Amino acid sequence: MNDVTPTDNPTGDDARPPAGSDDTILSVRDLTKVYPDGTVAVDEVSFDIQQGDFCVLIGPSGCGKSTTLHSLVGRFPVTSGQVLLDGDDITHKETHTRDIGLVFQDFQLFPHLTVTENIEYGLKQTGIPQAEKDERIEEIVDVMRLDTMRDRHPEELSAGQKQRVALARSLVLEPKLLLLDEPLGDMDYKLQKRMERELLRIHREMDTTFVYVTHDQTQAMRLGDQLVVMNDGKIEQSSSTDAVYNEPATAFVSTFVGDSNVFTGEITTVSDDGRTAELDTRFGTFWAATANLDSDPESLLGESIPFSVRPHQFELGTHEENVLSCDVDDVLHQPGNGTQILLTATDSDGDTGEFQLQSAEILSVDDRVDITWSPDHATLLERTSVLEDIDLEEDVLGE
Amino acid sequence: MSAENIRLQSVNISFRDEQVLQDIDLAVDDGEFCVIVGPSGCGKSTLLQSIAGLSEPDSGTVYLNGDPASSLSVQERNLGYVFQEFEDTLFPHMTVEENVAFGVRQQDEQVDEEQLSEEIDEMLDLLAIGDTRDDLPSGLSGGQQQRVELARQLIRGCDTILLDDPLADLDYKLQKRMELEIRRIHEELESTFLYVTHNQDQALKLADTVVVMNRGRIEQIGTPSEVYHNPNTAFVANFIGDNNITEAELVESDGDAYVAESDIGRFPVTPAHDTNIGETGILGIRPVNVAIGEDAAEKETTITATLDGSTYMGDRTEIDVRIDGYEPSFYIIVPGKVDPGQYGDEITLGWDVTDAQFLTDLSVSDTYTISNILEL
Repeated sequence: MNDVTPTDNPTGDDARPPAGSDDTILSVRDLTKVYPDGTVAVDEVSFDIQQGDFCVLIGPSGCGKSTTLHSLVGRFPVTSGQVLLDGDDITHKETHTRDIGLVFQDFQLFPHLTVTENIEYGLKQTGIPQAEKDERIEEIVDVMRLDTMRDRHPEELSAGQKQRVALARSLVLEPKLLLLDEPLGDMDYKLQKRMERELLRIHREMDTTFVYVTHDQTQAMRLGDQLVVMNDGKIEQSSSTDAVYNEPATAFVSTFVGDSNVFTGEITTVSDDGRTAELDTRFGTFWAATANLDSDPESLLGESIPFSVRPHQFELGTHEENVLSCDVDDVLHQPGNGTQILLTATDSDGDTGEFQLQSAEILSVDDRVDITWSPDHATLLERTSVLEDIDLEEDVLGE
Repeated sequence: MSAENIRLQSVNISFRDEQVLQDIDLAVDDGEFCVIVGPSGCGKSTLLQSIAGLSEPDSGTVYLNGDPASSLSVQERNLGYVFQEFEDTLFPHMTVEENVAFGVRQQDEQVDEEQLSEEIDEMLDLLAIGDTRDDLPSGLSGGQQQRVELARQLIRGCDTILLDDPLADLDYKLQKRMELEIRRIHEELESTFLYVTHNQDQALKLADTVVVMNRGRIEQIGTPSEVYHNPNTAFVANFIGDNNITEAELVESDGDAYVAESDIGRFPVTPAHDTNIGETGILGIRPVNVAIGEDAAEKETTITATLDGSTYMGDRTEIDVRIDGYEPSFYIIVPGKVDPGQYGDEITLGWDVTDAQFLTDLSVSDTYTISNILEL
């Protein structure tokens, strides 16, 4: 279940909970990795993961998510910082003594061993009594639904089955943490989607903490209880999936996780006991809820602040406080997935802006429509990014 | 009626002993955006190669603009072709601009350089690589190189452009954005696009026409809506879009009312084709057509299930439930943010008879069994 994980660590770097609170299984403190060529891959990153959670590290290529994951398993020495697993400092421990499993995209099964032998392999080097080994193998074969293929060799298995064997081989050792590095990356789309649901089921049944790396934000939303959104070596936000989507800490997060329509305007008035801000944008006057702001809304009067609206929160009509007239540019029917409508609005200078709407209604290209949204669905974004010198238009919106 | 841009007639191709394409009949109109989708190894890339002249049919004919293409060399066919493996296609010693201009200059020695320069700027901006204009390919990321290759092919202004999974290696976010750009470029160029992908959602989103391929054959050709709502075969029903499928047998038929029996129960179904009592096939119920809780009570068929898990996806909630007799778990997608309850709770599901689709034709490939379809 993706129950909301309580967190008092909304933006990762700034507000840090005390290390080692009751259910914390992993605590990463100020982790930094500088490669020999001087590249700072991970820059003073801190986050906590709760026991039993499914945590997903997500960000664009080169954001440091894989380096962070490989630092946890001890693949290379870290430059500075600390990794605490269940309270123990494992920062400098050898990989095989860390009690952490790792599953890759390319499975890395032994080709000459059967499914059972592959699963058994890691157990051989432990002092676990044979009876318990057998019991564990039975359990994991059952959870992974590998019962009918115990004696097969990897070459006789499909990609999905191989990945289940790779998972079984790691999970049978009952690690405190299982790390998954884009394990579905190379699979056909259909299989990928099926394996995502398999992973959720396995996670539910095993009660092991999973840490998963992907660049696919839909996969991240589907799998994660907790998301750690990374950008250029830093954490933009670390919180529950729900909070990342509905209370994005930065404009970067709002546009990277899920689609967003972003407006920028100057706050001219704050009303409704500070709950609503009026903004003067190039497309007219709009109202936005101030709930997502850290600062006192009054202190932002006269400042230029962006806000975002999710495509499914735009409606057709004029019944909400905010209304914008647009032309329909393109209509993408996606059976089973609603219809994505691309819109253009024109400001008073004749310049255009692009927006998108998700709707069940049938529209045609060149239709003129009014879209409307409630101030509650307009999320003010006080910070562009945790990185400095980031330009909203150029670096975040990619104009 | 628009003219035919591409036609394949009874095309067969085998490599060694393996029949890669079998009796392929396909017609693509001028200006159409046609997407070929199928699992790995279904023959979709070979189909593109046969059109480009890179793979000769053993029998059958490829027509381009109404004429047989067999006597035309690869160059004479004058097609744009974007490969999935793009690493070796760019000239390493040329800048991005020179790479993009190369094909155009080859085609037309008297090209208006000023105009070409403007077109290149426009194309690079459209593909979000405007700032790489003076860079060498070695300084670009894989995703950037792929977009240079796209620009290089698109700018030549060919009537027909073949695209072999061009977005597969891009980051998810960039992929979503490029999908929209490719649609836009298609609108602007008015060329015929034949696009291959293994991603069903991408196919449904981009295509005017979807061609579903499987084991060297075409399972179905139709609009995205047709292949989704009216699949010809159980293969298509399971391959295109999310579906909950199970084996079932037709046990009653009375005029227009049909009842099937399956491991999840006995209830009314809608057969896709004429079906007789005693016939077995696949019962499919789309996750988006299943209602839960109070909404379920208003549906024509209701059953009871146990809640396994749920995931909030921002615009929708995905729910997994267990139903006795259904493995591994039954999938439901409801709009918005919904709290279906706790793990282990009992939950009522409902759907309408038209949403319980019964298909006895498994695949155009006669080697399929019901369990093949279920394992898909």
